[in-house]
Amino acid sequence: MASRVSMVSTKLKQATNGKRTLDLDGEEKEEQQLMMKNHVDDVDDSDDSEDSDDETADENEDSSSQDEVYEEEDETSEDSESEDEQPEKKDDEPEKHVDEYEYDSSDEEDVRNTIGNIPIEWYNDYSHIGYDVEGRKLLKPEHGDALDEFLQKADDPNYWRTVVNKMTGQKVVLSDADIETIQRIQASKHPAGSEGLYEPWVDFFSNEVMNMPVTGRPPDKRSFIPSKWEKQRVGQMVHALKMGWMKPRGEIRKMKLAQDPNAPSLDLWKEDAEPEITKRYRMHIPAPKEPLPGHAESFNPPEEYLLDAEEEAKWNDQEPEDRRMNFKPQKFSSYRTVPKYGLFINERFSRLLDLYLAARQRKMKMNVNPEDLIPKRPDKKDLQPYPTKEGMVYKGHTDMIRSISPDPSGQWLVSGSDDSTLKLWEVSTGRCMKTFKMEDKVTYVAWNPNPAINLVAAVVGSDVIIINPGLVDKLVCSNTDNTLNNFEDSGESSKSVVVWSSYDVEEKDKGFRIKVSHTTAIVQFTWHNKGDYFATVQKDGNKSHAVLIHQLSKRQTQAPFSKPKGLVQRVSFHPLHPYFFVATQQHIRIYNLVKQELHKKLQANCKFISSIDVHPGGDNVIIGSYDSRLCWFDLDLSTKPYQTLKYHKKALRQVAYHKHYPLFASASDDGSVIVSHGKVYSDQLLNPLIVTVKVLRGHKTANHLSVLDCKFHPTQPWVFSSGADSTIRLYV
Amino acid sequence: MATEDVVPHVQAKFFTRQEQYSIPDNPYSIPASITAKELNNIIYSVLNEGKTANSFIEFDFLIHGEFLRTSLETHLEEKNVSSEAVIEIEYVERQAAPRPETSLAHDDWVSCVRGSNSLILCGCYDNTLKLWSRDGKCLTTISGHLAPVKCVEWIPSNGGSTADRMFISGSQDQTLLVWCWKESQKAVDCLYACKGHAGSVDCAAVNTDGARIVTGSWDKMVKLWSLVDGLTVEEEEGERTKKKLKSSGKSVSTRVPLVTLSGHKEAVSSVTWLDGSTICTSSWDHTLRVWDMTRSEQTQIVEGSKAFFSIAYSPLSKLILSASADKHVRLHDLRTKEMKSTYTSHTGLVSSVDWSKVNEHLFISGSHDMLMKLWDTRSPKAPLYNLIGQDDKILAVDWSIPELMLSGGADNQLKIFNYELRKKMK
Repeated sequence: MASRVSMVSTKLKQATNGKRTLDLDGEEKEEQQLMMKNHVDDVDDSDDSEDSDDETADENEDSSSQDEVYEEEDETSEDSESEDEQPEKKDDEPEKHVDEYEYDSSDEEDVRNTIGNIPIEWYNDYSHIGYDVEGRKLLKPEHGDALDEFLQKADDPNYWRTVVNKMTGQKVVLSDADIETIQRIQASKHPAGSEGLYEPWVDFFSNEVMNMPVTGRPPDKRSFIPSKWEKQRVGQMVHALKMGWMKPRGEIRKMKLAQDPNAPSLDLWKEDAEPEITKRYRMHIPAPKEPLPGHAESFNPPEEYLLDAEEEAKWNDQEPEDRRMNFKPQKFSSYRTVPKYGLFINERFSRLLDLYLAARQRKMKMNVNPEDLIPKRPDKKDLQPYPTKEGMVYKGHTDMIRSISPDPSGQWLVSGSDDSTLKLWEVSTGRCMKTFKMEDKVTYVAWNPNPAINLVAAVVGSDVIIINPGLVDKLVCSNTDNTLNNFEDSGESSKSVVVWSSYDVEEKDKGFRIKVSHTTAIVQFTWHNKGDYFATVQKDGNKSHAVLIHQLSKRQTQAPFSKPKGLVQRVSFHPLHPYFFVATQQHIRIYNLVKQELHKKLQANCKFISSIDVHPGGDNVIIGSYDSRLCWFDLDLSTKPYQTLKYHKKALRQVAYHKHYPLFASASDDGSVIVSHGKVYSDQLLNPLIVTVKVLRGHKTANHLSVLDCKFHPTQPWVFSSGADSTIRLYV
Repeated sequence: MATEDVVPHVQAKFFTRQEQYSIPDNPYSIPASITAKELNNIIYSVLNEGKTANSFIEFDFLIHGEFLRTSLETHLEEKNVSSEAVIEIEYVERQAAPRPETSLAHDDWVSCVRGSNSLILCGCYDNTLKLWSRDGKCLTTISGHLAPVKCVEWIPSNGGSTADRMFISGSQDQTLLVWCWKESQKAVDCLYACKGHAGSVDCAAVNTDGARIVTGSWDKMVKLWSLVDGLTVEEEEGERTKKKLKSSGKSVSTRVPLVTLSGHKEAVSSVTWLDGSTICTSSWDHTLRVWDMTRSEQTQIVEGSKAFFSIAYSPLSKLILSASADKHVRLHDLRTKEMKSTYTSHTGLVSSVDWSKVNEHLFISGSHDMLMKLWDTRSPKAPLYNLIGQDDKILAVDWSIPELMLSGGADNQLKIFNYELRKKMK
């Protein structure tokens, strides 16, 4: 097939040559080409060299081997134009027309007319019609007269298809194919016929692999003509060579040799630049190692490595990539019996595939200290001062001490115990200065937070007893007594839910001042920061007077909540603003006492709130709960706890903030007081920093109760705790 | 001394400041693992060369200013001293252990104690003062305060008649009383009542000429009072108020302070005179402050980390001892503002400290852990002696009488320890 294509191209080339010589008009050219194609189709199995010979044979065939294909064709075309000549030619040499190609005339001499492109009429008067290559005259063939012509017309059956080649003067009998072509042209059809148009498709550029790479694309024109730009470039180079700007390679080499080899190198970077090869060594990433074979790979593995039936079934069911091992451990009695490993090639291949496909990357090893990943916690040393050791034990009570409270200056401490006494202690020495005997267990004591008012409130059963304990500055004591005495009863107290009563003189000498009798037992007592108001929580926490707010100077009592929601556990005043915290079992409600409305409701994530304390700044609240949680609320953040600390093992009894230091403490039934650093920043963007700094132990557990109360010293970073073991401890 | 070559040896020279024990100035090669006891034997054998055996005298060994308490090797390591060079070892005669002498019973907690010559004065929580003779006789019980007595102090008698001794006492009743003990009549007179504090008078100090008293109080104030009669302006008749004292039934003149110094943010716990015109105060606000009394202003402030309970100043070493809320005794140098060392051995709060009046290195401390400890400043890790005797918290210690160490505490006892003085101490 390839040879055929090349043949076509040569033929076409020849055809174009022929065209030129014949100076035909465009239409005829086309015809000629197509006809040539036809020809080509007929000639099948002959190569290029033969091809040209064939053509000559062609021509020689009917006109004494002088014809050329194009001339012949030309003749035919002329024929078609001048039909009048046809009858003359028909009588001529009818037998010659049998087969144009019946013999090979390649070895015959060329009898081509060489007169060139001149009108043939010029030779009408001569006996010859032109000259061959060697200059011999080509004699005109014999022409009969008109009679012969006529006879021929009658006799020769091919007369009608005989034409005269003007160049040689010989008669040519047109073949059937030629006739057909002529007829098609006359009928204004395609000269090559339909079979030429619809050649079978040859898929040269198929996906099939061919023996020889071929392309059917004819060479471009520019491949024949010399490049103008190359010529220019060459010209430039020649010029440059002449001028000495450019030197041939050999000359350069010579010049280099001529240079001193010891001359200092001007390449500044030569030292630094690594040779490519060492760079590659340095950047070499070794191939990952294959795991070493284990016992399972052994030819004689221990029994436990062999697959049992179930495992084997599982192995078979699994996809190859899901399998734990890509082989089945097998046992062989001896090394001799081990067969060739069937998967060897597969494994090598997959290994190579891995090495090739899996990109190896130089991994930057991060030397991360695991401690760096832990969030930065300030060093405990930086958080000092905080209580660290037990400094003092205050002994004297004979039963559990439910409540303690230091005085605002920090010199004294008051404690209320189940042994029905209230004791006053000197903080620095542990000396019991005074003891007040009560009628019942003292459940709650609180020193008035106002330094100008020297009063201690004690809760005994359902009574609040206000005591002036003396001890402090005499002036303060007397002033306190004066303000209490200045009260004039206006007689309004009858409708109040509590009864205010004063003590008689004898009792007054002991220090007792006022008694506020409630209806039911009091759970909690708290002073307002200014010391005039105090609030009590009664045991029947869901009644309207569960929470009462009392005013000391006017001896008035009001029940702010007509019906409190839930069982009130603890209440607290806001240290700065007229807010009031009411803690029920699971919620803390903050009421605005001035507007008399609910300000906020906090949700504690615990079951039973046991204690509450408000940060001296007023924006943070901690609560302790019986399910051993401590929740820190940041009122600016949300109504959910900012942080929940669950470091106690048992129920929390008390939580407390320090007034000045960023400390808070919690006391629990597990016998410990845990002190935490809780720094509140004045910057709104910073959340409180909470770090647990110290677990303080010391109290013994009695009746599942241990530490019952804890309070901070008002000025020092010390914490007091009172416990069921009837001691008070000071941690410094 | 036959020594084995395997054991590392060090070269050491011995010297002493006590001339009667001096030995030749020869370097000795001693094994590095030697302890004080073995060194003692060496000294003993050198001292007794060619003599009849004397009584064995125990020495303590000072190397680079610190007592040798462990082996020589570890001591040198701790001090970062090369063992190549010749080590100079000073030896001093070991202090004999103080002997417990007597125990004086009181009716209530002893909150303060001071000795002077032959008299011992105690303040008690039952609002009384007790005056004891040195041999343990109760001379008198003085009641006059309305609240527990917190501090007592003797007023030095300058050359005058030694029969009359004056002293002061401060109490939680916010007054400071000035008393006079008349030896001849065996009676006590209350001379003045100094009123002005709005809190318990916790500490007082008298300067060396006995004319000025400084008091510190829970009300955060430091007040200066004058004792010199008829000279000071504040002793005008109009300012005096008469006061009936329960005990004596006599009227005493009331004094008002010369100067009130405010600056401390918390209670003033202790005050001491540094010299005639400067005082140092300690406070619960974690500071020591130095005040110039002539100009009545604060000149220096030293920040501590804990509340100070007690300080003591030694004119010999010019150093300040402080007892604070954290079981340590600290030694401050006010001139350099630095803390020189920390003495840690007590297990309870240290309530009181006092310097020896004759030895610049020795001091005592009393603590709530019921122990009084005798320290040498050169031995910060361990005290010289633990003085056991008290059965409850020690609230006050005193070493005003060089031979007697006094301690009073919550067990209502005043313990007296006898301390034999060396003949020659440099």
